[in-house]
Amino acid sequence: MIIAKQVTKYFGGFAALKGISFEIGRGEIVGFLGQNGAGKTTLMRILTSYLPATSGGVFIAGVDVAKNSLAIRKKIGYLPETPPLYTNMTVGDYLKFAAQLKDVPIKQQRIQIDKVLTECNIKDVRDKTIGTLSKGYKQRVGIAQAIINDPEVLILDEPTIGLDPVQIIQVRNLIRSLEYKRTVILSTHILSEIQQIAHRVLIIKSGEIIVDRSLEELLSEFDSNLEDTFLRLHSAKENQ
Amino acid sequence: MNKVLVIAKKELKAYFRSPIAYIVLIITISVFNIFFFMIIDQNREATLRDVFKAMEFLFIFIVPLLTMKVFSEERLTGTMEFLMTTPTTNTAIVLGKYLGSLIFFTLIIGLTSSYYFIIEFFAQPDRLAILTGYLGIWLEGALFLAIGILASSWTRNQIIAAMSSYATLFLLYFSITFIKYFSGLAQTLIRYIGTWSHAENFAVGLLTTADLVYYLSGIVICIALTRLSIDNRLWR
Repeated sequence: MIIAKQVTKYFGGFAALKGISFEIGRGEIVGFLGQNGAGKTTLMRILTSYLPATSGGVFIAGVDVAKNSLAIRKKIGYLPETPPLYTNMTVGDYLKFAAQLKDVPIKQQRIQIDKVLTECNIKDVRDKTIGTLSKGYKQRVGIAQAIINDPEVLILDEPTIGLDPVQIIQVRNLIRSLEYKRTVILSTHILSEIQQIAHRVLIIKSGEIIVDRSLEELLSEFDSNLEDTFLRLHSAKENQ
Repeated sequence: MNKVLVIAKKELKAYFRSPIAYIVLIITISVFNIFFFMIIDQNREATLRDVFKAMEFLFIFIVPLLTMKVFSEERLTGTMEFLMTTPTTNTAIVLGKYLGSLIFFTLIIGLTSSYYFIIEFFAQPDRLAILTGYLGIWLEGALFLAIGILASSWTRNQIIAAMSSYATLFLLYFSITFIKYFSGLAQTLIRYIGTWSHAENFAVGLLTTADLVYYLSGIVICIALTRLSIDNRLWR
């Protein structure tokens, strides 16, 4: 479904990504794990066609992201790090705007909006102005926007940041309910989160993938929880 | 095309969701009304020529207020990332935003149409001159908006956006003042680039191809540059 080949990204002289390659199959839930500044957001921006890679390429369902970005953008739902919300719009208006821009057929728009309002548990704030909502609600409106067009690929940059424990569980359940239907990529630096949602982990460090394994494999090999594994791999890389 | 309208509608709604729209509308129309009264009272002529001139001058101050947030706010809040990752072309984004502010601007101009009815009631004005005059200030405003939106696409800071459009508009408007310090080609060029010589023709009922080309090409160039500017990925 998603193939990245030697993706490299330079910001000026700084190498944010250094030749990243991976393949993600349909229906997989993959977690990008890494410290702040490891290159997770840059990688996600390249996957969504928002940023061009300096070299290398990304293919989603066989289509080159850099060459045919409009076709790709129809297939993906993307939640950036800070939810991209118009603070003076109401939730309903905003979702309608998102549905229109994302080519949801006019007849389907109402149905889709109702569906995501329910799925993200934000029905009660439908007519509220986004600016007045709490962080948790805003984050969920951001997720609602990402799934409004039933995208094949869902890319979520730190989806549970700023949520309270109950909301975190809700978001996790939401993501898990998409399993097998969609390919989900999420980034986080919260390890327990990956452990509970993802099938597979890509650990990114200073722009390189240092681990690309299924979660089960990884945990059984190191015979411990993800946190220890992560720390061990991280320091192992450092000592090299 | 559909997306252009969707974005234009959103822009227009955004104006009316914030107090800016109402403040600009009320203050602008009040100031226009005062000028209208003063000019008509003084000239005692059934023409809007000088009223158009006053309006044109006031546009320099109003337009940057309308356009400063168009792109800079989207960049600041990160909604630009949302817009640009939906299946919407950058051209549609720029055109939609331009159309939105143009409609709002047209509304302001539309509210001044009462001036025509007032002078029509008391005298026999030259209708054609008023019509071309309106076309002239509308085109002038449309060009100013395009410049303001271009400035807004350069920065995520609204103040910088407003200041750069003020600077550009002042240069365009007052360039005629400096014309005496130049000669030959430079003088012709400045006369052509400045808005002064173009707007004047419309107000007296003269419709020339050169003036139309000036405004339309200016608008197209600014929109194309805006499109390039948001395409430029350096700032992302």
